[in-house]
Amino acid sequence: MTSNNIQPSARPNAAAKPSSSALFMSDALTKPLLSAVSILVLLVVWATLSTSGILPQGYLPTPSEISQDFTLLATQGYKGVSLYDHIGISLFRALSGFVLGVLLGVPLGLLTGFTKTGNALVSPIMAFLRPIPPIAFIPMVVLYFGLGETGKVVLIFWTAFNYVHVNAHSGAANVPLAYLRAAKSLGLTRWQQFFRIIFPAAIPQIFTGLRVAMALSWAVVVAAELTGAQEGLGYMISDAALTFRIPTVFIGIAIIGAIGLLLNLAIEYLETRIVHWRGR
Amino acid sequence: MLSYLSLHDVNAPTIAPTGLAHGVHGPSDVRFQDIKKVYGSVRGGAGTVALESFDLSIASGEIFSIVGPTGCGKSTALNLLAGFEATTEGVVAVGGQAIVGPSIDRAVVFQHPSLFPWLSVMDNVTLGQKCRGEPASRYEERARHLLHEVGLRGFEKHYPYQLSGGMQQRVQIARALIGEPRVLLMDEPFGALDSQTRLMMQELLLRLWQGFKPTIFFITHDVGEAIFISDRVVVMTGRPGRVKLSVEVKAPKPRDYSFISSPEFIDLQGTLLQAVHEAAASVYEAQAGGVLK
Repeated sequence: MTSNNIQPSARPNAAAKPSSSALFMSDALTKPLLSAVSILVLLVVWATLSTSGILPQGYLPTPSEISQDFTLLATQGYKGVSLYDHIGISLFRALSGFVLGVLLGVPLGLLTGFTKTGNALVSPIMAFLRPIPPIAFIPMVVLYFGLGETGKVVLIFWTAFNYVHVNAHSGAANVPLAYLRAAKSLGLTRWQQFFRIIFPAAIPQIFTGLRVAMALSWAVVVAAELTGAQEGLGYMISDAALTFRIPTVFIGIAIIGAIGLLLNLAIEYLETRIVHWRGR
Repeated sequence: MLSYLSLHDVNAPTIAPTGLAHGVHGPSDVRFQDIKKVYGSVRGGAGTVALESFDLSIASGEIFSIVGPTGCGKSTALNLLAGFEATTEGVVAVGGQAIVGPSIDRAVVFQHPSLFPWLSVMDNVTLGQKCRGEPASRYEERARHLLHEVGLRGFEKHYPYQLSGGMQQRVQIARALIGEPRVLLMDEPFGALDSQTRLMMQELLLRLWQGFKPTIFFITHDVGEAIFISDRVVVMTGRPGRVKLSVEVKAPKPRDYSFISSPEFIDLQGTLLQAVHEAAASVYEAQAGGVLK
């Protein structure tokens, strides 16, 4: 099998150079190799299962069905809308709601975390609202804003805002006492403490909020599109399932997964660039 | 020892050409007047009495150390003087002015590195100056000079995580000294350092003090450290903390490591260790008694 072809070639390599640097090299090689092997195994299992005839006809598309359908989607689009437009509209909804949530949630969270008054005002309300799954608000959003773009963006905004706010808030509230005392002894005014100490000290925690909010924004946009949308990836997979166009459903799910992964990587990249002092 | 010598050489210009004769300090600068500090007393509850009848007067330019067992209230005294906490009763004053909060007159060096990790060494040292609107041309040269004095030339652009514990404490000292504060408060600043580094830091502190002779309020649990740097050492009793013993260290400054083996040092160390031991024993008994009850 495939795994047998790869492993023996790795072994003599590591054994030939028993120095410590060779050991590091082999470790650096082994991990990606193992990952590649597990992905290959998964693909082989999929190909075997889908072509074996064990599963009912059409339940699990074969690799060739998927690639044919993907070519069709990429060239013809889905229901008169190109695949890129489906992706684009979903991304637009998710990102515009996310950005609005961040723009409002970060400053507000830092303020409510920093000031006792702000803390007392919002903490109980946020504590109640936070555990409510964002999709529970869908009916009310539809009622208030209809099925258009506004309602979806408002829903994503609300989702992102909640998680960004709560993390910025706790980041600001948990700034080490020594930082604040040092800042006061250095003569920083309260606003200077806010901008020069509280904000930078809270950035790592803010990024935790951004990561969760990004993932949820993407999840919620798909959920919102499952009902009441005429375009977008969520609409595409739910509509394709109704018409039993199963390969399209799988392709849609894979695209949703890939984009979610890319969004997460983008935030992680930003984090390593901005929070350069962390974890070293 | 070689590294110690080279550091000493690098910092040689620090030593001021003139100064007050030893033992002649200015008038009383810092005054703790019949202080009581109670923690956790809500709705008439008893709370914990950290300090009671705590009376202290420190002369201007004096290096003053407090030693005592853990929980004797030494850090409480520092927090009151820094203005981080308010007294329950009594007044802490600097230069006759009652303290109402933190001030740039009273710079603090904390036990744990409290440098801002997102700022470079240079930006950490100059943050206060920058926030006060001082022109960069004025403070940058001073900061560079100070970093040179504490042996960190060339580290201006480094970040705190790139420095050792001892280097981070030296940056803290530079940050505290750049504003030439009236009082320098130090809360076990060298407690986490190894003994060689610690001795170097103590000598460095004495050299820096020569520069503009601030009053230094130094907290430590290390009796030897207190004697080495101080003009006066006070031992505190167990809780509630008050002054148990006050001794003067008459050896002239600057001192170097040879002072540690002098008869005066050894004599003082014996006296102070006994007092600290008694205080610690009383704290231990009080705690044991509390458990038995």
